[in-house]
Amino acid sequence: MTLVATRPGTGEARPYTFPEIRRVSVRGGTVIAAHLPGQLLASAMLMLDAGAAHEPDGREGTATVLAKSLEEGTATRDSAAYALALEGLGAELSPSVDWDSFRVGVSAPVPLLLDAVRLAAEAARTPRLDPADVLRVRDDEVTALRMDWAQPGPRADATLRSDLFGTGRFGRPLHGDPASVAAVTVADVLAFHRSWLLTPGVLLIAGDLDTLDLAALGEAAFDGTTATAPAAGGTLPWTTRDQRRVILVDRPGSVQSTLRLGHRAPERANPDYVPMTLAATVLGGAFTSRLNHLIREVKGYTYGIRGSYAMSRRFGRFEVAAGVQTAVTVPAIVDTLGEIDRTQVDGVTEDELAVARSWRAGQLSVEMQTPGAIVGALGTLVLHGLPDDYYPAVRREYLEATVDQVSAAAAAHLNPKGLTLVVEGDAAAFRDELIAAGVGEVVDAEI
Amino acid sequence: MTSPSAPVVTTGYPWPIETTRLANGLRVVVSADRSSPVVCVNLWYDVGSRHEPAGQTGFAHLFEHLMFEGSVHVRKTEHMRLVQGNGGSLNATTNPDRTNYFETLPAEHLELALWLEADRMGGLVPALTQETLDNQREVVKNERRQRYENVPYGDAWLRLLELLYPPGHPYHHATIGSMADLNAASLDTFKAFHQQYYAPNNCVLTVVGDTSKDEVFALAEKYFGALEPVADIPPAPSGHLTGPATTPVRETVTAAVPAPRIYLSHRTHPFGTAGYDAVTVLATILGNGRGSRLYQRLADGKRIAQPDYVGSYGVDLAHAAAPLIITATAKDGVDVAELEDGLSEVVASLVTEPVTEDELSRAKALLTTAWWRSMSTVGGRADTLGRYATQFGDPATVAYRLPQWLAVTADDVTEAAAYALKPESRVTLTYLPEDDK
Repeated sequence: MTLVATRPGTGEARPYTFPEIRRVSVRGGTVIAAHLPGQLLASAMLMLDAGAAHEPDGREGTATVLAKSLEEGTATRDSAAYALALEGLGAELSPSVDWDSFRVGVSAPVPLLLDAVRLAAEAARTPRLDPADVLRVRDDEVTALRMDWAQPGPRADATLRSDLFGTGRFGRPLHGDPASVAAVTVADVLAFHRSWLLTPGVLLIAGDLDTLDLAALGEAAFDGTTATAPAAGGTLPWTTRDQRRVILVDRPGSVQSTLRLGHRAPERANPDYVPMTLAATVLGGAFTSRLNHLIREVKGYTYGIRGSYAMSRRFGRFEVAAGVQTAVTVPAIVDTLGEIDRTQVDGVTEDELAVARSWRAGQLSVEMQTPGAIVGALGTLVLHGLPDDYYPAVRREYLEATVDQVSAAAAAHLNPKGLTLVVEGDAAAFRDELIAAGVGEVVDAEI
Repeated sequence: MTSPSAPVVTTGYPWPIETTRLANGLRVVVSADRSSPVVCVNLWYDVGSRHEPAGQTGFAHLFEHLMFEGSVHVRKTEHMRLVQGNGGSLNATTNPDRTNYFETLPAEHLELALWLEADRMGGLVPALTQETLDNQREVVKNERRQRYENVPYGDAWLRLLELLYPPGHPYHHATIGSMADLNAASLDTFKAFHQQYYAPNNCVLTVVGDTSKDEVFALAEKYFGALEPVADIPPAPSGHLTGPATTPVRETVTAAVPAPRIYLSHRTHPFGTAGYDAVTVLATILGNGRGSRLYQRLADGKRIAQPDYVGSYGVDLAHAAAPLIITATAKDGVDVAELEDGLSEVVASLVTEPVTEDELSRAKALLTTAWWRSMSTVGGRADTLGRYATQFGDPATVAYRLPQWLAVTADDVTEAAAYALKPESRVTLTYLPEDDK
C-alpha cells in the first residue's frame, strides 16, 4: 500500500480575530465599519428598523412591494436612468425585508462604493413611487408569489407558521401571500415608506478602510433623514404545547413529500442560545448529524434533512425540514420523530458535541471571508445589541460548552410531544398509513 | 455626483501562483494568501458526464457521492465528520466536463485535508461495498426528484441538452443521468471507473490560503507522491461540432407549471475562446440586470415578461460549443406567442441595433464585480485555478479572463450574435400550464 496510514495531527492555530470595527456618527446616523485591508470589493448595507412586523393586518407584503418599487425611479431620475447609473458602477441593489429590519445592500469595487451608496440612499430615501408603478410592481409580486407557491415548500411553510403563531402578523408569511399582496394599496406603500424609511438607521460597511471615507459614506446614507427610530417591540408571549398536530397539504402527483416539523422556542436573546445551537447541530445541523445520518446515509429516504432553531428578536422556533420520497413518507416521519425524541431524552454524546463545537467555531473563520459576509455579521451585532467582541466571545463559548449544558438545552428546548408536523405531498398516497402510524391527529390544511 | 472611474485592470489574478508536477503526474498549484487563517484544498479530476458511454448516464455523479463513503483508512461518513468536526466546509460537484472536490478549513488542518484526499484518490476501491452503492443510489435518485422532477420547469436543462447536442455527443445527456441507468449500476463498474480516472496524472490539486508553496509541495509529495499513475487514460468521445445548428428545433411541454415560459438556446463557442468571451459580454448586455435589453424591453417597455424571471446566461463548458440560454416567463394574460415574438425581436436587435457604449460599459462593470466576487474567497480562487490548469494547461492563464472580457468591443458582440444567434440554429423550449390544454 502506498498510502500514509496515520491520520496527521493538527498544526499550530493562529488566534481568531474578527476584523477591527470602527464607528462614525454623522447627521443623526451611525456608520459601523469593519476593516478588510487589501479587499478589492467593498460592501455597504443601510439597515433600518422597518421590518415586516410593522405591516398592517391583511396587507402582509407591503414592505416587500416597497422594496421592489425602490428602483422604479427616484425624485431625480427614471427607472432606466437609475439602472444604468447603478449598474454602470458594477453594482446592483439588494433590498430585503425580514421580521426585524429593512435592508438595502450594495457592493462595488472599493473606489466606486461611495457613488453606489449615494445611489442606494437615493432609492431608499427619495423613491419616485409613482402610483401606476407601485400598482404594477404589486401585481408582478402577486404573480411572483404564485410562481413561488407552485414550488414544493412555501405552502408547507405558511401552514406551519400559521399553526405555530396563530392569527396576526407573525402567523402570516414574511412576504405575505398572493391574497394579502393583492390587497396592498398605493397608500399602504407610501405610508410604510414615510413611517419607516426616513429614519437614519445604521450604515454597515466592510472593506478596505484605508481607502474608504466613512464620514462621506455616512453623509450620503443619512442626508435628509428626519424621523426618529421607533422603540423595538417586546418578545411575543407563547406557551409549550403537549399534543402533536399533523397537517396535510395536498400536492397531487408529487414524487416527494415536503416535511416541516416545528414548535415554538425562545427568542435570540435567551441565555441558552449557544447550547441550543449546539444541540440542534448534533441533531440536524451538520452532515453527520443524527437526522442526516439516519434518514439519508442509512435509509436513503432523502437527499438531505436538517434541523435548526431560528431565533429572531421577538420570537424563536425549532424546525426540521426535508424532502423525502413519497413511498417512504411515513417511515421517514417516524424515524425523524425518534431522533428528536432521543435527543430530548438522552442528550448528546461527547463525540458528537466535539464535532458540533469545532464546526460552529471554525465556521466563524471559514464562512466570514467576504465583505458581504462581514456586513451580514455586523448586521447581527446591531440587530441583537451585541458587543464588538461578540464573535471571539461566542467562539469561546462554543468551544467550552459541556455535554451537560448542551444536553440540558436539548431537554428544555426540544418538545417532540408538542410538534406540529406539516406534510406537503400526494396525500392520497400516504394518508391512511399516516393515520395508522398514530403520530398525531391528522387534519387537512386550509390553504 | 462625482464619478471616479473604475480602477484599470491589468490582471484578474493579483496573487502569487506556484506550480509543480510530481513524478506520478499530479499537478500541484499553490496560491498563498495569509489575510485570513483559512485554507482551501481543491481537486479537479478531468472526468465528467461527457465520458459516460450509453447506458451509464449519471455514473460520474453517483461516483462523486461514493467518494464520501469511506476509503482504506477512513470509515464510512468519517470524511465528513473529520472536515466539519475541524471547522471546515466541504462539497463536490460533477458537470459534463469534470468532477471537483473541495474543502475550506482553518489553516491548521491543511495536512488533514490532504491526507483525506490522498486516501480516497489511492484507496477507494477496497472500501466500496454493495451496501454503500445501494444507499447512495437512493440518495441520488432523491436528488433527481428534488432538483428536476418535483419542481416546475425543473427538467428544462435536461431537455435543452438533448435538443442542443446530437445523439452520441458527449453533452447530449445530462449529468444527473436516467433512473434506468442508475438502477442498473453495478459495483464492478464503479471500481473500474475509479481505477480508470481517479489517477494522480488525471488530477490537479490546488491549495489557496494561509500556507506556503514549500509547505504544500512537501505535503503533496508526502501524501500523494507514492500513488501510481494510470497509463493511457481514454479521452472522452470527441465533442467536435461543425458549427451552430442549421435547423431550428422546437419542443413544447404541457406540465404542472404556474405560467408559460420560454427558453431559447444556441450553441455558441467553447468556454475559454475569444468567441465565448464575446458571448459572455453579450449575455450580460442582453439579460443580466435591470439595465439589460431583455429587462428594459420586455419586463419594462412592453411589460409582457415577469421581471423576476427574465434573463440570459452562458453555461461555461469547455469541450464543445457552450450553450447560451435566454429565458422569459409570461405575465398574467400574455399569450406565449407574443412573448416568443418579443424575445426573438430583442435577440435579433443584437445584430441590427449596434451595442452602445453605455451598454458595453454597464456589462463590463457588472462582469468586473462578479469576477472579484468569485475571487473574494479562497474556495473561489482555488476552483478557478484548478479549472484553468485542467482545461488550459496553465493556472496562470486565469489572469487573462477579466482583461479579455474588458477588451471585447461592440463589433465583437455583434459578430458573436450574427454567428451564434441565428433563428435557424435556435432551440425553442416552451412550457405551458396544464389548464391551457
